[in-house]
Amino acid sequence: MLFSKIIKKVNANILILFFITIIIVIMLSILLKDTFLTIRNFQSMAYQVPEFGLLALAMAIAMMSGGIDLSVIANANLSGILAALVMTNYITPETGEMQVILYIILAIFSALALSSMCGLLNGLLISYLGVPAILATLGTMIFYSGVGMAITEGKGVVGFPDQFLEIGVAKISIFPIPLIIFIIAVVIVSLILSKTPLGQKIYLLGTNPIAARFSGINNDIVLIKTYILTGFLAGMSSVIMISRVNSAKIGYGNTYLLQAILVVVLGGVDPYGGRGKISGVIMGIIILQSLQSGFTLFGFDPYSKRFIWGLMLLLVMVINYVNTKRQEKISKKEKKPIMN
Amino acid sequence: MFDKILKRNETYLLLIIILYSIVVTCSNKSFMSLENLFDTLRSGTGMMILGIGVLVALLSGGIDVSFTAIAISSGYIAVRTIMVIGIDNLFLAFVISCSIGVFLGAINGIIISYFKLPTLITTLGTLNLFHGLLLTIIGTKSVNAAQMPKCFIKFGSAKLFTITTASGTTYGLSVFVIPLIVVIVLTWFILKYTMLGRGIYAIGNNMESAVRAGINVIKTQLFVYCYIGFLNGIMGVVFVSEVRWVNPVYLVGTELTVIAAVVIGGAKLTGGSGTIFGALLGVGFITLLNSTLVFLGLSSSWMDFFIGFVMIISIGINSYRSILKDRRILSFKL
Repeated sequence: MLFSKIIKKVNANILILFFITIIIVIMLSILLKDTFLTIRNFQSMAYQVPEFGLLALAMAIAMMSGGIDLSVIANANLSGILAALVMTNYITPETGEMQVILYIILAIFSALALSSMCGLLNGLLISYLGVPAILATLGTMIFYSGVGMAITEGKGVVGFPDQFLEIGVAKISIFPIPLIIFIIAVVIVSLILSKTPLGQKIYLLGTNPIAARFSGINNDIVLIKTYILTGFLAGMSSVIMISRVNSAKIGYGNTYLLQAILVVVLGGVDPYGGRGKISGVIMGIIILQSLQSGFTLFGFDPYSKRFIWGLMLLLVMVINYVNTKRQEKISKKEKKPIMN
Repeated sequence: MFDKILKRNETYLLLIIILYSIVVTCSNKSFMSLENLFDTLRSGTGMMILGIGVLVALLSGGIDVSFTAIAISSGYIAVRTIMVIGIDNLFLAFVISCSIGVFLGAINGIIISYFKLPTLITTLGTLNLFHGLLLTIIGTKSVNAAQMPKCFIKFGSAKLFTITTASGTTYGLSVFVIPLIVVIVLTWFILKYTMLGRGIYAIGNNMESAVRAGINVIKTQLFVYCYIGFLNGIMGVVFVSEVRWVNPVYLVGTELTVIAAVVIGGAKLTGGSGTIFGALLGVGFITLLNSTLVFLGLSSSWMDFFIGFVMIISIGINSYRSILKDRRILSFKL
């Protein structure tokens, strides 16, 4: 009785995704007996997931609203560079402990502020100027990388205080701090999408912008809020990224773009907008991260991995298409008796 | 008549290019020379050919980011194949390269036209698919000038005509302009004078209306991506001949620059609007920036900044103008 209640509440697609995740983890554990199912492996996964996961969350929200955000990585890189510059310019070996922490907070705050503003620029281009999301975020991606490159001359900004580096490596019990940040972000974003009017409007806007406009939704404001949120998440990711690698430069995480899109599409978000759940995206992240670890343990070179990600992206989209067609056929069959 | 010219995007771009050239010449007299022009033309031809391919994709309402992978795959495989079978013929090189290009383009075309998947994500997938496949199966061995078949090297250094300067050095217009002109004329003819071309514009403007007007969308889209593959194949050979040292990891990564160039040249990403002249101007502008920022004292790190800045301004202005136009004719897109 309880089981059927659960089945009804949980989306069928999410359930399928859940089983696929379990199967993949089990298969990898069997194939890589001693290396996959270790604390070390899970720990390294737990450290890599948050920075990528926040970017994937950002991409998911942008796609649910019917657009896309190609500039998340450039945004994160640029915000990371700003935070790095704040820290390296104001913190000298002489500054007192309290002051150091204050500067770190200032740096984090400026990264988040800058990333949100970059998101705001995206939102303005897309909503008020009517630029298609692909084009706007393509332009801003090139622009943000350009600004970052011009500031840093291509070199990384290094030399962060130890207290800041703690963010990247410290743990609370067995959970790394980045993972905790990520989980909090996931919970907040899920709540926004499912329980607030903004979330509902995002879904409606993604499904049919014209209908949304005619039902009284201010499309422009919703889009701006969406992309500010996207930018904010990119900023959070940037703080984690630079604290993990102890430097900030343009170009870090470029492979994340394809992977973020893959993960979001895998998780059931419709690239045309309007559908998708965060839980699906999380499972997509788990699947990707497990496969990524598995491939590294197998010894695949980065080129083979790129080939596999590209292939997976295409396969997932084709399967989605076939599935949608099948569902359309089924619902047509159900309609027939009424038509007769 | 003047009115129409003033309204067009390409006019402003041309003005900007001329102004920019004047600024650069002021700081470095050697810029405004025929030799420099021929040199820039030689290195920019490849990107122009790619840009025309991107333009055709944009006109049909889609986008193709996998073109660099197709170009490098075709070029590299052509070089290695000729090295293996030993027939040192440039025409054969083109045949091999274009066949592979069309084949890879057809994969794009089939997926997009039959499964109706979003073009950006599909071609993002095929970009990684093709490039990863090339690097995994064919390997990352580079081919340098000594090993390369002579036909490519001769093609790369051949000139249409040479001019000897007073100091005795010769320079000339590279034969690369021949494939470029062929591509331009072919594309222009297809777009303007064939039903296929009209179909491309129709699909890009309004897919629904195109379907109702009887345009065969699947065939047209398939043609678009195969044709782009064909152009990429040509570019592959040109690229290999120009650089004279080919490694499969090259070229991929420059997609965004080419797309930015074509967009700056006035092509709309939503499709249906754009000219070959604009695309050429856009690519010319980017190539100009590439080689001349150094004259202005800015390091190459500033390239992306300027490209991104010009791109945002240009798409901002274009999109805003199109919103104003929509309001004037009382059509509401949203």
